[in-house]
Amino acid sequence: MSALDSTPNVPAITDALLPGHQAKIRPAIGMRAILTRWWVAFSLSSVCVVSGHLMIKAGLNTLTAAGNSSSGVIGRVAHAVMQPEVVGGLLVYCFGTVCWMIAVSQKDISFLYPLSSLNYVLVVVASAVLFAEVISTKRALGVALIVMGMVLLNRKSSEERS
Amino acid sequence: MSARAMIWISVTLSAVAQVFLKQGLNTLKRKQGSGSVLQLALGVAQQGWIWLWAVSFVMATALWLLGLQKLQLSYAYPLLSIGYILVNFLSAIFFRERVDGMRWIAVAIISAGVVLIANS
Repeated sequence: MSALDSTPNVPAITDALLPGHQAKIRPAIGMRAILTRWWVAFSLSSVCVVSGHLMIKAGLNTLTAAGNSSSGVIGRVAHAVMQPEVVGGLLVYCFGTVCWMIAVSQKDISFLYPLSSLNYVLVVVASAVLFAEVISTKRALGVALIVMGMVLLNRKSSEERS
Repeated sequence: MSARAMIWISVTLSAVAQVFLKQGLNTLKRKQGSGSVLQLALGVAQQGWIWLWAVSFVMATALWLLGLQKLQLSYAYPLLSIGYILVNFLSAIFFRERVDGMRWIAVAIISAGVVLIANS
């Protein structure tokens, strides 16, 4: 497999997941038309992944507050998974993963994966706002470095595409 | 196992899982080309790589839930970026995707960020 195999042409996976998207006449604002643009699928996956993680953590926080008495690894995972917020979070996250699969089928993973570091900023900011987590200078600096790395990776990839 | 160890194993496993997924989808594309949703679903179910992705994904999620009960989300979540380092190595090796000097510099910067967060 060369890198060329997975670049811009919308490949078989998208054809199969979104039948008919190649038809000449299609609705301007249709789910099919939208998801065949990699950046739309990617953005949707980003939103779902971030809100999914926040919901999961919210559920785990209520669990910790109530005191998790289950013993054994499986018992503790089962207990966690029974929290409504955790279930909801996992479902939202799953939908995000489907969108991610659609995006990955259209672009190199070494291009898309770094782009998803936008999620770190969103999650850290939301953790501070929603859960009152204290973000130390070190932690904020760490996230800033991660985003810097992302910009570097992204810029290079843009040149490759043009 | 400590909560921190669980989170570290979980993030490593999720990164490797991404490579399994891409490998599975590549194999699938090579094998069946264009097809219906049903054909795709059957193809996915028959792909060993995709099963491997699913198993890694479930294990990583379980470890994530266990570890995250005790740790802050703003500590655990950014650690997922060690995936950048792993995915860069693995996709260069297995998919022969072009990973040039600039990308390695970016990976080094991201690694520095991870080290800072790990110690925060």
